[in-house]
Amino acid sequence: MKKYVQTTAAVSNFSSLPLYQRFSIPDLLYVGYGLLIVGLVLVSYVLGAFNLLPHDPQQINMELLMAPPGTAGHLLGTDFMGRDIQSRLILGIQAYFLPGLLAIFIALSGGIVLGVLAGYRRGYTETVITYFTNLVDSFPRLVLILLVIAAFKPDIYYIMMVMGVTGIPAVANAIAGKIRVLAQKNFIEAAIALGLRTRVIILKHILWYNCRALLIIQATLGMGEAILLETSLSYLGFGVQEPTPSWGNMVQSGANYFMQGNFWPSTAPALAILFTILGFNLLGDGLNNILEGKRSR
Amino acid sequence: MTAPLLKIDNLRTYFYARRKQAFVRSVDGVSLEVGRRETVGVVGESGSGKSITAMSVMGLISSGPGVIGGSIHYASDKVQRNLLDGLENFVQLEQSDGRVMAVSKDERGWQKASEKLMAGMRGREIAMIFQNPRASLNPYLSVGEQITEAVRLHGGITAAKEARERALHWLERVKIDTPHLRYNTYPSGMSGGMCQRAMIAMALSSEPSLLIADEPTTGLDATIQSKIVDLLQELKSETGISTLLISHDISVITRLSDRVAVLYGGAVVEYGPARQLLDAHAELKHSYTAALLASVPNEQKIRARANLQAIEGEVLDTINVPPGCRFYARCNRITPEIRDKCATLHPELKEVAPGHQVRCWRFVN
Repeated sequence: MKKYVQTTAAVSNFSSLPLYQRFSIPDLLYVGYGLLIVGLVLVSYVLGAFNLLPHDPQQINMELLMAPPGTAGHLLGTDFMGRDIQSRLILGIQAYFLPGLLAIFIALSGGIVLGVLAGYRRGYTETVITYFTNLVDSFPRLVLILLVIAAFKPDIYYIMMVMGVTGIPAVANAIAGKIRVLAQKNFIEAAIALGLRTRVIILKHILWYNCRALLIIQATLGMGEAILLETSLSYLGFGVQEPTPSWGNMVQSGANYFMQGNFWPSTAPALAILFTILGFNLLGDGLNNILEGKRSR
Repeated sequence: MTAPLLKIDNLRTYFYARRKQAFVRSVDGVSLEVGRRETVGVVGESGSGKSITAMSVMGLISSGPGVIGGSIHYASDKVQRNLLDGLENFVQLEQSDGRVMAVSKDERGWQKASEKLMAGMRGREIAMIFQNPRASLNPYLSVGEQITEAVRLHGGITAAKEARERALHWLERVKIDTPHLRYNTYPSGMSGGMCQRAMIAMALSSEPSLLIADEPTTGLDATIQSKIVDLLQELKSETGISTLLISHDISVITRLSDRVAVLYGGAVVEYGPARQLLDAHAELKHSYTAALLASVPNEQKIRARANLQAIEGEVLDTINVPPGCRFYARCNRITPEIRDKCATLHPELKEVAPGHQVRCWRFVN
């Protein structure tokens, strides 16, 4: 039997529903799973940072080469040099966490500044910014990163800075588009006519109330993307360099032994990558549905 | 007699059509007065410059060259100033035959000086309500919070609780039922009429001296329109606020205005007491006003199943403004004696009765 209940707000609409009424079951699962992954990543980061690992991740053990998962003391087994995979996996998150945050910070702050300028100033400023974002957008990201690596050194921070810069256009376009829609609806004009200061209009009404969902979503998706990018670069040998573990170079070094039947050294980090990126993307998706109501109801 | 609250004199607001390399003379010499406790209706077809006049007063014109000349004297009990004071220094006009052919404007300097002059005016002294009220509200913020924000901004009330009380009081005053429930409703959850009420509450909560209502009833249902007009009328008599009412709906203008200005092609063609001007049978009037009044349906016409009278021709092309009377091409009252003058010379506003001016050669001897 279906039950129909009227909420206290006599006329309700999606955006006016309190947050807890906006959930649908899949969204809840998405966000729950995403938050679980975020929690795991945070815990792993802290464990790695304080060196609270089951084994020394760099210690080479010549007697236990390629130990399969479940070996006593080594839950996920060891790799071709006898190093503990579980410890390396946990330590591997160090490669992503701060650099990923840096990339997100650059993309969001640059995107906000350019987006607001383009959307609010219009005219000449908008043209220049549009050309800039199109230029950045049209340049293949990997090629740009390889250029930077060639010019400087293969350092994860350089890579993430490039990733942040190349992430600016998406954020800038989204914000400028949002402002354009608001301006079209003469909401900004009305706010000026009410006597609000430009600063208040931009910071409070545009960025906080109208763009916060968008920014949160961009941030979560950005983290997933950062991991993916580092992985592909590590696989090519340009990412985090051995012996410092990252999930990308663990997959790469383990892949050489894959066909010999020793699948775990590369499978464990590959699965970690899969579930983590899935987590961040689902978190972004779920938040999008809950905050913005994109799902058609 | 005290000075009028708002005195717009020879206001000119142009835009530039880049492709045609020509000026769009949206407002070309509008002069208006709004007295204290008075409602002045501004009426005219689309494109006659009504809204641009209002936006010029508020300093909301953002595309160039925008306002290029004139003066806007504002004189309430608290503030007396010309809102365009000294701004002509930022503009250089090149004219030939009395027509502006080139404008060079220091937009930055103008904007800065204008912002200085507008400081403390917007919202506090002059409030504005727009057409399409829902689009003027922040969709992500409840209506009550938005009114509270306005109250805290201008009402001198900083305590959150007090400001909330004040907002609720205004919600009640604009006759929104169950204000406590509506306080937390978002704009998307309210009808257009309720959004307009909320806008009115927001505008009046700072107790401004002048309200500019830019097509306040456009886009609302006929019954809602009537209710909004009732509300405006009531608030006007309660608060004694002066209103500049802009509308293309003559019935709205009729019900609210004390004086009426008829705009055509960016200039006032007739200006006078509402009763005289809107009397369809009076003889002393501009042919455009007469045509506008004839195009309004009324009971008699509907009973007689008469066709509505449209105004022949097209709205004035504000890019290529003809040298003569702007209504020349559509006028049906031209007599042979004045035809030449109508075609070549732009008439001045001429007083035909006390306080009643008409811009037509027929009344110039």
